[in-house]
Amino acid sequence: MASTLLSFQRAHKSLRVAQSSIRHTGTVPEGTSDPRKELIRRVLYPPNIRNRATPTGTWLPDVGRRLQRAIPSKQAHETIERAWLLHRRHVRRGRQAELERKFECMRAAMEKLRELDPKLYAEANKDEDPRARSPQETEVWKSLRGSEKKAFDSRIRGLFPREMRTPTDTPPTGGWNYEYTPILRPN
Amino acid sequence: MFSFRRVGRAYAGLPRVRGNATLQSTPAPNSDIPPPPPPEAKRPEVKQGAKENSATAAEPAKPAEESDKKAGRGRKYPSKRPLINLEHPRQWNRPVAAGALPVYDYALAYIKRDAKSRRDELEQYKTLLQKAENTPDFVPKDLEKLKEKISILEVQSAINLPSVRWKARNGLADMTLPVYRYLLEQRWREEGALDLLMERIHQMNVVPDLLPSLHPSFDLRVNFPEPPPENIALRSRTKRKYQKIEPGVFLLPEQTRKPPMLYTTVFHPEPKLYTLLMLDLDVPDPENQTFQTYLHWMQPNISLSAFSKSPIPLPTTHTRYVPPHPQKGTPYHRYVLLLVPQPSETERISVPVPTDEQRLGFNYREFAEKYSLDASKGGAAFMWREVWDETVSKIYKDVLKTEEPVYGRAPRPDRYAEVKQAKKYTL
Repeated sequence: MASTLLSFQRAHKSLRVAQSSIRHTGTVPEGTSDPRKELIRRVLYPPNIRNRATPTGTWLPDVGRRLQRAIPSKQAHETIERAWLLHRRHVRRGRQAELERKFECMRAAMEKLRELDPKLYAEANKDEDPRARSPQETEVWKSLRGSEKKAFDSRIRGLFPREMRTPTDTPPTGGWNYEYTPILRPN
Repeated sequence: MFSFRRVGRAYAGLPRVRGNATLQSTPAPNSDIPPPPPPEAKRPEVKQGAKENSATAAEPAKPAEESDKKAGRGRKYPSKRPLINLEHPRQWNRPVAAGALPVYDYALAYIKRDAKSRRDELEQYKTLLQKAENTPDFVPKDLEKLKEKISILEVQSAINLPSVRWKARNGLADMTLPVYRYLLEQRWREEGALDLLMERIHQMNVVPDLLPSLHPSFDLRVNFPEPPPENIALRSRTKRKYQKIEPGVFLLPEQTRKPPMLYTTVFHPEPKLYTLLMLDLDVPDPENQTFQTYLHWMQPNISLSAFSKSPIPLPTTHTRYVPPHPQKGTPYHRYVLLLVPQPSETERISVPVPTDEQRLGFNYREFAEKYSLDASKGGAAFMWREVWDETVSKIYKDVLKTEEPVYGRAPRPDRYAEVKQAKKYTL
């Protein structure tokens, strides 16, 4: 495996790799009328003259020029790649450092709270169910209609508001509702 | 319909690349039919001009492809890479002219800025280390961490610079700088050289047969003279040049008559002591119906570092080199060259010179245990194979001065010997 890799690396690859010495179009010799024979002949000896680009781009006559335009220099490509990855590394590390700083601030604040007031600290540490409805909210909710009830419940604090209309292929026949007012929670 | 052509030398050993427009895999670089003319024969002028500077032989600059170009194009390309090494140094130049590829200019500027900030950080850490070393109460662990950080920064501050990378690729590495040592080690480990060596060593079963584990820490390249030319008349008239050997290949006994040239790339700057050993793993032992090892060469206390000369100037002989002599009738022999690290980096070990009788049946495991040589801690290795040749008879006559043994399998007992003696037809 490694020897194949090494020989690949050391191989001086040219763009015109192999050209068979017999090149022919798919012309059928005169006189044959048997379609099966013609089919077999076309399968066994497909035309191998390449002078036109394939529709999907699997073969192009000017691959060399395109490659040269895309990657004019391997060394330059490596430099650009390294610079880009270095940039991404800096951004990533900056983000991570900022997140860590914020977390550390939060942790220090909670630690301070624990020293000062354990009861409040316990309150602060309680898990909050974001979907829970307070008593006032439940009263408001009872007075709403069906779809409005759903819209009320879908607004969870800290998350994406799930009032989105079900995506369809075509827009609604009624058009855009300019008079839409969102149903907000009391607090 | 399919015609077979003689494959050119350049394509002889290479795997067939599945490139563009291949149906049949017969390569025909010297085909009689000229290739169809390309639709746009122009080349992007700017990039070409920028590439032709004095020092851009960075990548395998496709000399084989260029030498295959038709004479009709009018241009002659060199078929060899330019000679660039520390004796003939060259300067790095940009591969692309300024302004030709804006993204390259941005990338270069970014890398330079980053390198500068790394260098500044490095200076800060160095002053920190100095202060820490001068204060009486210091924690060794913290010092170690500081030193590690400094070594990482030394590499990071230069590893992205294209000039540094180009120099490391082209034999202009300055081994005093850690970044070059790092780049060379990375190249040896990741680009296939170490993998090839370990593949051969494990596939040829050197590892369980000779030693339990082997983890080389530096690159060892072995050069032996080239095999004799095919033309018999030239055999005694040409001087054999030394050529590099791939690990695991078969060599002729006449190539290994004289000790090899050992080229090393060591990655540690401080000098360490190594013991050189050359062993034949497949000498037959008919009494025990097994194989034993033969010690061909031993040289303890070889000092190697990143600045030591390459090839290794082999010191005064400790145990003289006996050329490999695979016996007639035996299957191929494996020969292993080891550079095992000694337990102490500075203290020399004294090994008694083994006699010729002690060479046969040399037990490497015992030897390593006695002198605490551990090949899993580092070192280097190499191996090749050989098979009997008429030259071996000469080696026995001239060098070993003993009678040449011939080995073979014991004749099979004839089960029907008695039956053959008895009469077949009673009359």
